Amino acid sequence: MLDAKGICSGYRGVTVIKSLDLSVGREVFAVLGANGAGKSTLLATLARLIPLMSGELWFQGEDISRVPSWVSAARGIGYVPQEKGIFPGLTVLENLYVGAMIGSRSREDRLDEVIELFPDIGERRNQLAGTLSGGESRMVACGRALMQDPRLLLLDEPTAGLAPKYVDSFFDKIREIHRTRDVSIILAEQNATKALEVADRVVVLSLGEASAIMDAADVTTEKLKEGYRI
Amino acid sequence: MSLDWLSAFLIYALFTVAGTVGMAQFLHLQMGLAGIGNFGIVGFFGLGMYTYGVFIRRIPWPDAMGDILPFVISMLAAVVVTALAGMLIGWFISDLDGDGVLVGTLGFATVVYSLALSEKRWTGGAEGMAVTDPVGFGTKGNSLFWLGLMLLLVVAATYYVARVHRSPYGRLLVAIGQNEPLARSLGKPTFGIKLSLFAIGSAGMGLIGAIFAVMNHFIRPTEIGIEVTLAVMVGLVLGGSARVWGAVVGVLLTAGLFDIVVQIYLPLPDSWYQITLPVVREMVFGAMLILVLLWRPLGVLGDMRRDKLVARLGRG
Ligand SMILES: Nc1ncnc2c1ncn2[C@@H]1O[C@H](COP(=O)(O)OP(=O)(O)OP(=O)(O)O)[C@@H](O)[C@H]1O
Ligand SMILES: [Mg+2]
Repeated sequence: MLDAKGICSGYRGVTVIKSLDLSVGREVFAVLGANGAGKSTLLATLARLIPLMSGELWFQGEDISRVPSWVSAARGIGYVPQEKGIFPGLTVLENLYVGAMIGSRSREDRLDEVIELFPDIGERRNQLAGTLSGGESRMVACGRALMQDPRLLLLDEPTAGLAPKYVDSFFDKIREIHRTRDVSIILAEQNATKALEVADRVVVLSLGEASAIMDAADVTTEKLKEGYRI
Repeated sequence: MSLDWLSAFLIYALFTVAGTVGMAQFLHLQMGLAGIGNFGIVGFFGLGMYTYGVFIRRIPWPDAMGDILPFVISMLAAVVVTALAGMLIGWFISDLDGDGVLVGTLGFATVVYSLALSEKRWTGGAEGMAVTDPVGFGTKGNSLFWLGLMLLLVVAATYYVARVHRSPYGRLLVAIGQNEPLARSLGKPTFGIKLSLFAIGSAGMGLIGAIFAVMNHFIRPTEIGIEVTLAVMVGLVLGGSARVWGAVVGVLLTAGLFDIVVQIYLPLPDSWYQITLPVVREMVFGAMLILVLLWRPLGVLGDMRRDKLVARLGRG
């Protein structure tokens, strides 16, 4: 599905992601790491919002190393950023509709599915997205990405700052999205315990370098600590 | 039907107000929806005007072509040149933030003004150049003809804005204006969309400028001062971009009230027209702008749109 070969990326003068190799298939793949480890930078790079400094990026057998973000999005990479994932001056419904400008399935079918998944936002469909609570806007951001009918969904800390009750249900939804819609998911996460519950495989980032990729089932505390370089 | 009540002065005032509404509609798309604060309106207006003038006056059109063909070609040239300039400016400002866009577009208008002044060989410099009217319906008939054409253009622009408002494209423009980085991952070419929006808006403003040149019979730098930009801006902000009619209502309440009602129907001393009135006009516009931003930041038609649009979406 997605293959990264020796990718480097970062910002004007700073290389954050340093020669990373990654191969993600039809699975939930968690990217762990401390603050500033480079998780968001990696996801934004995969979404083609940050240019590659070197390396190659392949998605579904096509080279997307140089394409602009709208092309990779049109080919099926949905992206939910850590912050500013909504259009505040549009209503919830309009936020969802702008997601549905690509793809061939009927907009209303997709809307029904998203609202079934997140009933709370269905009730607030006519509210301006800028007035939603943190948790609600996460759901809208996620819903908007799902409206794009992605093959791969990049979720950047979708549960940061949410009440524990919401965190649990959000992770359940992530599993559900993966299972019922056959969407691969790359999930950046601080919360290792939770991430290991939903993920098939994990990688730990530390200062932009990746640990070995591990199966979530046989990750041990030692292995994790080694990844975090604590 | 007698048209005596339509004085030449009134026709001209109506024409100016209509042109302002037209430009406000194009600004509606750029600034109201996509959030690109174009302060170079008069630059595109002036470029259209001068392109028309330079083409019609400086090309030795053979007599065999008559009057109409050179006119049409020069008009087309004005549209094409302003569209290209719009694309260039759009590309130049595409990565700038709001302040950068303001400075960039304002700078463009200044460049057009300076060129109009300095390139005497082409533009006639400060004295300007006369352009003849290609149609022959008599003095009043011609003015009415151009007024009609301008009104037609305004209706077309308003219709287009109404279409955009109701379309997914319009929603995408708002999305780009609100959060451009996020809009880039929606799967639509945001950069190209912004460029084409700028090209369309600029071409529209340029066409209005070119028609203005013909109506005015004369092209000179005093026609392309910052007041043109201000009138369009104030009108749109006053009416608000939330609704299709915002630009129309806003311009009628500002330029319309002032240029038509005050200047034509109020018994003011003649000596006021040269200096006092233009100054008062700018002051009143400025004051209105402040009041609107304080009390109704979305314009006088402000919050009405949300309810309507939302109601429609809710049903869908
Ligand atoms: N726009 C930017 N310009 C320069 N440096 C940046 C920029 N954004 C992030 N960085 C730097 O890149 C590094 C990685 O940041 P990133 O946001 O990817 O971390 P993260 O793993 O997502 O952290 P967190 O868990 O806090 O979200 C940090 O050192 C950060 O300071
Ligand atoms: Mg982050």
